[in-house]
Amino acid sequence: MKTPLGGAFEGPSDDAHGLGPMQQLTRPMRRYPPSEIADYVIVGVGSAGGVLLQRLARAGFRVIGIEAGPFWDTERDWVSDEKGSESLYWNEPRVTGGRHPLALGENNSGRGVGGGSVHWAAFTPRFHPSDFQIHTLDGVGVDWPMSYWELKPYYELLEMEMPVAGPARYPWGDPHGYPYGPHPMGAVGNALIRGCTKLGIGVSIGGPVAILSGSRGNRPHCIYRGFCIQACKVGAKASTLITHVPDALRSGAEIRDRCLAARVNVGADGRVSGVTYIDPQGREVEQKARAVIVSGYAIETPRLLLNSACARHPDGLANSSGTVGKYLMAQAGNVILGRFDEPVRMYKAPPAHALTEEFYETDPKRDFARGFAIQTVGPLPIAFAKQMTTAKKAWGWRLRQVMMDYNHWAALGLLGEILPWEDNTVSLATERDRHGLPVAHVTFNLHDNDLKLIEFGKNKVMEVMEAAGAEEVVQEPRYAHLVGGARMGFDPRTSVVDKFGRTHDVPNLFICDGSILPTQGSANPGLTIQALAARTADYLIAQGTDVFQTNKRPLDAPRVRRDLSPPEALGHGVPRLK
Amino acid sequence: MNDSKRHLWPVDPATGEPIPPRAQPGYYPRFQVLSQQAFWDEATRRVVLDRVENVPEIRFFSAAEATLLEAVFNRLLPQDDRDEAHRIPLVPYVDERLFSGKGDGYRYEEMPDDPDVYRLALAAFDAMANELHAKCFVALDVSEQDAILESIHEGRPLGDVERWRLLPARRVFAKLLHDAAATYYSHPFAWDEIGFGGPAYPRGYMRLERGEPEPWESAERRYAWVPPDGKGAPR
Repeated sequence: MKTPLGGAFEGPSDDAHGLGPMQQLTRPMRRYPPSEIADYVIVGVGSAGGVLLQRLARAGFRVIGIEAGPFWDTERDWVSDEKGSESLYWNEPRVTGGRHPLALGENNSGRGVGGGSVHWAAFTPRFHPSDFQIHTLDGVGVDWPMSYWELKPYYELLEMEMPVAGPARYPWGDPHGYPYGPHPMGAVGNALIRGCTKLGIGVSIGGPVAILSGSRGNRPHCIYRGFCIQACKVGAKASTLITHVPDALRSGAEIRDRCLAARVNVGADGRVSGVTYIDPQGREVEQKARAVIVSGYAIETPRLLLNSACARHPDGLANSSGTVGKYLMAQAGNVILGRFDEPVRMYKAPPAHALTEEFYETDPKRDFARGFAIQTVGPLPIAFAKQMTTAKKAWGWRLRQVMMDYNHWAALGLLGEILPWEDNTVSLATERDRHGLPVAHVTFNLHDNDLKLIEFGKNKVMEVMEAAGAEEVVQEPRYAHLVGGARMGFDPRTSVVDKFGRTHDVPNLFICDGSILPTQGSANPGLTIQALAARTADYLIAQGTDVFQTNKRPLDAPRVRRDLSPPEALGHGVPRLK
Repeated sequence: MNDSKRHLWPVDPATGEPIPPRAQPGYYPRFQVLSQQAFWDEATRRVVLDRVENVPEIRFFSAAEATLLEAVFNRLLPQDDRDEAHRIPLVPYVDERLFSGKGDGYRYEEMPDDPDVYRLALAAFDAMANELHAKCFVALDVSEQDAILESIHEGRPLGDVERWRLLPARRVFAKLLHDAAATYYSHPFAWDEIGFGGPAYPRGYMRLERGEPEPWESAERRYAWVPPDGKGAPR
């Protein structure tokens, strides 16, 4: 059969804005006149920005999101194709260096409404309680200015709002269960189960991932097509574009897409007065606001603060500590590839569908602090070919030959905690982008604990792959995710923001995204970033107009607003059992 | 069939005989991803068909540079096992990216911008060929070309090392190889070759386990081959 029953699939034919095949934005977006002073301008409508926009708009604030990339129509703009998905990433120039330079672009940087949540693999483990106090427990890194228990209610909320599919009981960290059932296994997950079972290592299967295992409202369930990190056309994988932005717009928020924030402006009173951005026609536009939230992620947030230097803040905005751009972190993300005699076809099923956190915590028997996770990954042909050029040093006929065996390989990922170091930084390069703004220069170096952890973790994943029955096991070193660069802390001399994301230096300037994480554990950061955003939103809503009118900085925990979730998130899934 | 290129063909290890070029090398002889295009969504169909049907014109490289880069790519990803009609063009897509100024989001601090990397690397290949063999790179035989490229791959370029002082050899090699591989394996002919099912929205996949093909995919039918120089992958 070469054609579908009923003819070729042409997608929706009307003019509505498609968010997956079933969800559409039908009402026009509210547009604030240029003269109007917004309550909040949020720079970056990604993982954190999308949640903040939704919460603050629902609570009645006048909110404008400034987003550098486009407002995707998923039927028109997204494709089931690796090369055709290049526009999802931050492809503007940046410089990378240090002893262990990070690959940027498609590796870790989103652009467009939804940000990185559009192209994440959607693993959504929580951080462990120990992650919030690694200095106290292990004498490394730094403690968070908050505990796991303060964030826990927001983990529970976001696990419903995305929602997260996973096992009924997840045994690691603070044990918990998930509101949607686990996904079926792909062949890579089966390899992880085989290897771990043989070695006596526990495995979590079918999640936790923010991918629908059953349909919910106007979102279909997963169809196991394997293009998760090329953006989910199905609408089964959560992104803030489809989970929070529709409700934000219904609640009166405006999103100005294809607008690049150039600087945050400071008034004569020392408070921020708004944001100047470059609009799609290349013009500078100033949007005044009573408060500003920067949610540009770990590279663009420090870059914007440093580019906002002014007479009052000569070293960059909110940088009296000299900490802006420092303590940048990525996780060790070595890919371990195993060749099996029988076919695998790892392009089917979501890349993220099984993991183990058995090695997450510090083990005194090892010669390093902290630990790592092992997760499934399912590289498509281009990503796999690039991995083979490193893992097997293959080029020429040898690369062609290895690639003909693509369907025999399975891939597992190490996810290892790299500690926060002062010399891992985002600074301004001498070169400028097409708007004349200095671009980011990223510097990254591994230290002794990191090197020992990676060596041990990499060998453990290779051992699991061999135990699974692979006849040949190779690996490629790489790094995953980005956090830090504007970290939160108790002490204004060594951190940029407090535990609610308020900058120590400017009372109406907030930062909320991955950049405020003081440490990163070995859990994928997306869920934690969104949970922090929901918590900061509750704080801002509880503070009301005090944020706009006073310089007060209360640090009392706000009431958890369970009534502010997008309405479509409620009334589905497994009730949470106490 | 033109037999003058027999020395470039892969070899059947059982007989020692060269294997003539075919329309579709690989272990999935009748599998054709494009036959499934009616099951894809419209945007994906447009992107993939445009890639196959509209090969861009050369606008960034000079004619001489394009010829030289093609010779390099022919060694980084040889296609002598494909018949003329089924070779996958690589240089035009790299040319298009460089001409349009599209970056991939970063450059290493010790590396120039991509357009300069390509121009300087191509000049360096020819300079090496001249120094070692008194010929341009294109005129070398493939073993001489491979020796030059392998020395760059290993980070120990043959000849005057001074010309690589501002151009880190290993990173240059990786950039060219990644661009060639990303172009080759973005083409449906390559998906047919390796048995990759390709676009799968809105239809999806249902046979997730044990590497089983979907009803419209093909099972693997392996044959033995080694590269013409006899130095292939171990299996």
